[in-house]
Amino acid sequence: MKYYKNGIKSGRLIGKYKNYSIYSEGFISVMDEESRMYEKNPDEINFAYGPSAGGLEESIGFTLQTPGEIIKNVDVNPSYKMRDIKIINDDIYTALLKIERVNGYHAASNSVCFLLAVEDALEIENSDSNNERIIEIELERIRSNLHVIKGLCESAGFSVPEKQVSYIIERVSRIISVSFRHRFFFGANLINMVNGNIDYVLKEIGDIEKEFRLLYNDLLASKIFMDRLQENGIYKDVNSIGPAARAAGLKYDARIDSKSLLYDGYKICTYSSGDVFARFMVRSNEIFSACDIILNTGIKKHYMKKYDLNKSGEGAARIESPQGDIFYYVKIDHGRISDIIMSSPSVLNLYAFKKALPGNIFTDFFFVWESFGIWVSEMGVNFI
Amino acid sequence: MTLWFLNGIKKGIKTEKNPDESMFKPDYPSVLEGKSSYDCPTGAISNGTWIKEKCIFCGRCDLRPTGNQNIYNIHGKMPEIFKRSFYLYPIDSGTCGACNAELKSIFSPQYDANRFNIFEAETPRHADALVIMGVYTNGMEKIIEEAYNAMPDPKIVIAMGACTLSGGIIGSGINKKFNVEIAGCPPTPYSIISAILRYRGD
Ligand code: SF4
Ligand code: SF4
Repeated sequence: MKYYKNGIKSGRLIGKYKNYSIYSEGFISVMDEESRMYEKNPDEINFAYGPSAGGLEESIGFTLQTPGEIIKNVDVNPSYKMRDIKIINDDIYTALLKIERVNGYHAASNSVCFLLAVEDALEIENSDSNNERIIEIELERIRSNLHVIKGLCESAGFSVPEKQVSYIIERVSRIISVSFRHRFFFGANLINMVNGNIDYVLKEIGDIEKEFRLLYNDLLASKIFMDRLQENGIYKDVNSIGPAARAAGLKYDARIDSKSLLYDGYKICTYSSGDVFARFMVRSNEIFSACDIILNTGIKKHYMKKYDLNKSGEGAARIESPQGDIFYYVKIDHGRISDIIMSSPSVLNLYAFKKALPGNIFTDFFFVWESFGIWVSEMGVNFI
Repeated sequence: MTLWFLNGIKKGIKTEKNPDESMFKPDYPSVLEGKSSYDCPTGAISNGTWIKEKCIFCGRCDLRPTGNQNIYNIHGKMPEIFKRSFYLYPIDSGTCGACNAELKSIFSPQYDANRFNIFEAETPRHADALVIMGVYTNGMEKIIEEAYNAMPDPKIVIAMGACTLSGGIIGSGINKKFNVEIAGCPPTPYSIISAILRYRGD
């Protein structure tokens, strides 16, 4: 492993997987999270929501403790749809099909991070394809951030801007489909290779940027929308990642602090208030910076090479997915996966949501939830 | 609100006309044709025959996509009462999130499923169809049953995606009788709308 150390607690906390705590420069096999039970007051009631309900895109259960209007505490159960995914003993390319489907909406981030770990394990030089991977991940970031903004518009009952964001999302999905063969990047990534043609991305991305800028300006001009976002769901904690951390002024970003996939000269975008509005601002500005990165990252033409995958080794990688740090560790034994650890950004984001919600009123629930961009699919995975 | 009203009008109509002519139809997923002896990771090629319900459209075999997205099975006819309005209640048994996103996309301005009288229900009590997505999971089995029992009669069940139909590459499928089965990983918005319209007899 070139950049990570097993058994060492070093750097900032980026996630948890089974009994591992994952840090930005190493991982250790202890669960150090305090599991404090909330003591309900006699005047409070438990209000159950989910695991299946109209406002939820994925299955997840909430129990809210409340005396009436204000939410005092929330317990969350993301394990209803827990999937056992059989991956141990798979060859690398069969495993890749499953990794793509850990979180289909973020298949590019997951598969690129997994492949970087595999390349680290098998000592495969990968500089040829890394710029194309950056373009792919930034395109995924645009769609993912739009998805969060769509959720915020929906929470506010703003159907016109919600439809306008949906329109841009569909346009981005079509760009992905034309350029990478599949609307969710399934099949786009191989060892040191991206199966795609970015000419169409370059042609269309300026238009996406323009279209979103108009909508962004209109949203900022809407006092009602701003009122719903500001001072709502405040979260400032050093144990946070991705847009949630950056919205609280923390300069945490694997694009500049992970050697697995470094972005040349990338400037972090931060905000300071740590509320839903700050997360909206960071997500929006990262759409603009993603468009810039796509337009200015030169790619190197190269051809598919044949690699000997029937080797052994262990490797790890960490990259900045749209929701924050994502980490993969793999151990390969004669070309087959013998161990795997994955840290999904949604784990720490869910922790942040649980801390940010108390003190808000019921009608703020969806704003706070949507603002963290949590995906249940990637939390409810058990690799076996 | 005036701002948004005018703003909406200014942007004009974005909905694409005829679902069969102008909706975006990518190659993957679509009907695959040809011959392949590839050792398919999901067993979707058996004795030279392609089984669409098992296919995750990984593109690794020699079967070639045709662009035809009518990759669904229809069993029976839609009850007359649903023809004027058809409410879907999505339920996630164990998805990767992509099926969920594609189902939402049918309500984007490009597809605008509402114009075909297709709507989303907030609760199973107001639903005509349960749309099941994802692989079988222990935790969701009872929830799916409860949602189905809470629906008023008549009611139908739509299975969406390889995971539900066969388990795909992830696990086991859902053991239930479906009125409509839509293949794909995930099925495209076009496929979903097309399957519902075909079931309705349009
Ligand atoms: S596309 Fe993939 S899943 Fe489908 S038949 Fe070919 S190999 Fe099997
Ligand atoms: S069918 Fe494919 S896209 Fe749908 S949930 Fe399963 S893996 Fe995801």
